[in-house]
Amino acid sequence: MGNPCIQDVSFPASESSHVGKLCLQLNCNSDCIHVLRSMVAVMTARAGMDELRSNRVAIAVDELFANIAAHAYGGKAGRVEIETCICDEAEHGRALVFDFRDFASVAWAGCLKEAANHVPDPENLCPGGLGLRLICKVSDHCEHQALEDGNHWRLIFNINDGENDGCNA
Amino acid sequence: MDVTLNFEREDRDDTHTLLRIKGDVTIHTSTRLREQLKPLFTTKMQEVHVALDHVDFMDSSGIATLVEGLQWSRLTGGRFVLSGLKDNVKDVFSLAKLDTVFDIEDSTAA
Repeated sequence: MGNPCIQDVSFPASESSHVGKLCLQLNCNSDCIHVLRSMVAVMTARAGMDELRSNRVAIAVDELFANIAAHAYGGKAGRVEIETCICDEAEHGRALVFDFRDFASVAWAGCLKEAANHVPDPENLCPGGLGLRLICKVSDHCEHQALEDGNHWRLIFNINDGENDGCNA
Repeated sequence: MDVTLNFEREDRDDTHTLLRIKGDVTIHTSTRLREQLKPLFTTKMQEVHVALDHVDFMDSSGIATLVEGLQWSRLTGGRFVLSGLKDNVKDVFSLAKLDTVFDIEDSTAA
């Protein structure tokens, strides 16, 4: 008789995309910081990223989650689904991918390019907008899609050869 | 990872104060930092020094709070100094292009 704690987690070939994928469903209103950081720590370790790069991924994931909580759901409770996996993409090569899905009635309508290229004016500093700027800065690709019932965000972090040699940003 | 933020204030004299921070400065803790920081900026205070030697992680809300501190120091005419930034924290300031805006010292004087 086998150990009841050990389950068969193999997937049929048709579901091979599930292998290595981590999925979370969170309430954006709850304190999820430990769960998110654990997810990032596992995936950046799998990707062979060094501490600095792992910290950058953690920043982007934390900031996006916080943005969804604050702006999409306006600080109220709301469902956020997060999926992450390491995949080979034609456009980006081997990459660590995070997909965020919310079901908010508010569609995000900002400009990612503007956020990425914003340079702060030292004489007239503004504390707002920094989160999105960091997300765009640390991810190799950030995209947003407004859906009929919410928003989809995708963050892509390229995994480079010799990843442990340093940071690529 | 630390979800609590601890503070230790050391008044060097009537015009110079040092605030040591211990923990992660995130959206969950930056409000507490703001509460500690704001009363330090008075017209009498010539220097507010924030020691970050024991901060391992800082997100945009932490940086935004320190930007507020910089604005308060400009209003009161004092100096606002940060010190002891770990590589991860220094990296975030650099990514935000704020590393040259703040007065940052390598180490915190004992």
